[in-house]
Amino acid sequence: MRTAFVIARRILRQRIRDRSAIIFAVLTPLGLALAFSILIPNEFSSFHTRFVVVDRDGGHVAAILVDDVLGSLAEAGVADVDPIATETEAVEEVRTGRAAAAIVIPGDFTAAVEGGMPAEVRILGGEARLSLEIATSAVQRFAEAVGTIQLMVATSVASGSKPDAALVGAAQAAAGTPGPISVATSALERRQADLATFYGAAMAIMFVFFATQYGALALVADRQVGTMSRYLAAPIRAWSILAGASIAGFVLGLVAMSVLAVATTVLQGADWGPPALLAPLILAAVVAAMGISTLVSSVARTPQQAGGLNAIVALSLSALGGVFIPVSQAPDGLAVAAQVTPHYWFLRGIDTLASDSATLLDLGPSIGILLAIGALTGAVGLVRARSALIAR
Amino acid sequence: MSAVVPAATLACTGLTKRFGDRLAVDGVGFEIAAGETYGLLGPNGAGKTTSISMICGLLARDGGEVVVHGRPIDPGATAAKAAIGYVPQDLAIYPDLTARENLIFFGQLYGLGGQALTARVAELLEVIGLTDRARDRTEQFSGGMKRRLNIAIGLLHRPRLLVLDEPTVGVDPQSRNAILSSVQELGREGMAILYTTHYMEEAERLCDRVGIIDEGRIRAEGTRRELVDLVGQRDRIRLIASGDLATAATTARAQPGVHEATAGDDSLDLLATNGRVLLPGLLAALSGNGLAIRSVEVIEPDLEAVFLHLTGKALRD
Repeated sequence: MRTAFVIARRILRQRIRDRSAIIFAVLTPLGLALAFSILIPNEFSSFHTRFVVVDRDGGHVAAILVDDVLGSLAEAGVADVDPIATETEAVEEVRTGRAAAAIVIPGDFTAAVEGGMPAEVRILGGEARLSLEIATSAVQRFAEAVGTIQLMVATSVASGSKPDAALVGAAQAAAGTPGPISVATSALERRQADLATFYGAAMAIMFVFFATQYGALALVADRQVGTMSRYLAAPIRAWSILAGASIAGFVLGLVAMSVLAVATTVLQGADWGPPALLAPLILAAVVAAMGISTLVSSVARTPQQAGGLNAIVALSLSALGGVFIPVSQAPDGLAVAAQVTPHYWFLRGIDTLASDSATLLDLGPSIGILLAIGALTGAVGLVRARSALIAR
Repeated sequence: MSAVVPAATLACTGLTKRFGDRLAVDGVGFEIAAGETYGLLGPNGAGKTTSISMICGLLARDGGEVVVHGRPIDPGATAAKAAIGYVPQDLAIYPDLTARENLIFFGQLYGLGGQALTARVAELLEVIGLTDRARDRTEQFSGGMKRRLNIAIGLLHRPRLLVLDEPTVGVDPQSRNAILSSVQELGREGMAILYTTHYMEEAERLCDRVGIIDEGRIRAEGTRRELVDLVGQRDRIRLIASGDLATAATTARAQPGVHEATAGDDSLDLLATNGRVLLPGLLAALSGNGLAIRSVEVIEPDLEAVFLHLTGKALRD
């Protein structure tokens, strides 16, 4: 084992010295995670927008829409809702990007609703599609409720009796229920990591392959530069050489993922979950990446070829495993195929950790499958690498 | 062939290696005693590297045996390999590590450590003249410096058998001379040395015995003199002189061992057996005839001629 550590220390020294591991395994994923989280709004927890409302009506039905329906978005912290005097000013707000959408309530809105006449609320949207959809959804929900009220009122009028004021009031209150807020709440309940955590974790699992590969690459490089002949002539066993390379890959992978977890937590406020649960998940992910890197490198003849193959495999598995596009948005076939990737199981584990009540048992499937992937691919890779070491 | 070598540090017999249909090494065998330098002389592709790869346990053999310091060698014989110091033909050093780091790392692979390793590294750096450059990365070294470091790594653990595979290929004359001197010194210190080369001059300068290898087989083996005698070639002696050269030629022909004598304008050219041995008597006889001899040159047949005789081709073919 002493020899294995000697070899591992030599590989680590070389990789730290040439900075390749730091650049590919730490700085690049950290930069990408920061960039993604800045460029893409966090729809789950940090999303915020601004609407402006032109209330030409001023009646009590318009007040329900403005104060209760749209007001609930403001109370939930999703949007600022500001009144504005004219439609021209509203359009300017949207055009300049100061507001994501403008809601224009017509002058006879309350009378039309109470009289059972058609009334049109217009929504003027900018380029922020998500904001526009939220505004449209809120007003649409209100319009559907108003339709129910109108039916009840119309029915009541047709029977010759006066509308029951209490009934109408209850229906109007129901119409003001903050539907969009409940949508946002349900998203959090699906145990999904926030955007900063997701992209931090996604970049970590994608780039950990670039860290762990340096162990296996060292063996390929030794064959190319001729130093392998010294190993073979030395009084050491083949497994010591393989163990040394594996230890180096494991340490690099572990350091890379740990640094990313800490850095995204400090810099972006990512929440990777309790360290006691995160640690075994990260260890399992590193083992899986090591196994695949070892297998891929065992088929290469040169370090350049091994590096290229590892990059192709890392990127392909990342795409398939939901690093770029969440698996939940992928077609059914792809969603199933994603489950053969370590990326899928790692990100699923991170989602599991988003729940306050997560336990090690909840992480069991992710950790188990990651370890199984690592053991299977690593065993095949090591057998192949060992056969290359043994003189024939 | 040479006499039986006592207490062989290396004994290999019947080494055979086949790559597909090609028989790369065909029954190679020889012994090397402590303090002896044995040369494997042959052109590129003769089977030198394949032979020493089997001797060092880098390559599994299809037949034959290798025993180093009384212990059999094969790819899995890790403990027995500790007796061998291997210097590969291609540079086998890490360019992004310093000279000292390279030596320490490979020393640790041989189980060295602590003060003993530190002292040995310092000693070898001194021997190869790299003490001042010990902390420089080897990628900054000249070819000769890299070669010297390449050899030093093979000496770290004070092996009983040093195997050098064409260690001077691509080396400048100055470094080459330094390497050859170092190898000679190691031999004098009692190390058994196996030295492969396709440079006839190196084999003649360094080796106590030489095995001439071609197409995977050892064609002849022995001391330089034994090999030359095997071929039956004679020494050429040239004397630059003034006086009666025709008479001198007649006198020379009468000397035992002289087969032919030709007088020139100011020189006398002779063909003889063991020219250096008979030279004193020859010079005395010629001086007695009033010949004024200004210079003498003895040209012995070299291993190049032996190789040509044995294989029908030149070493560098």
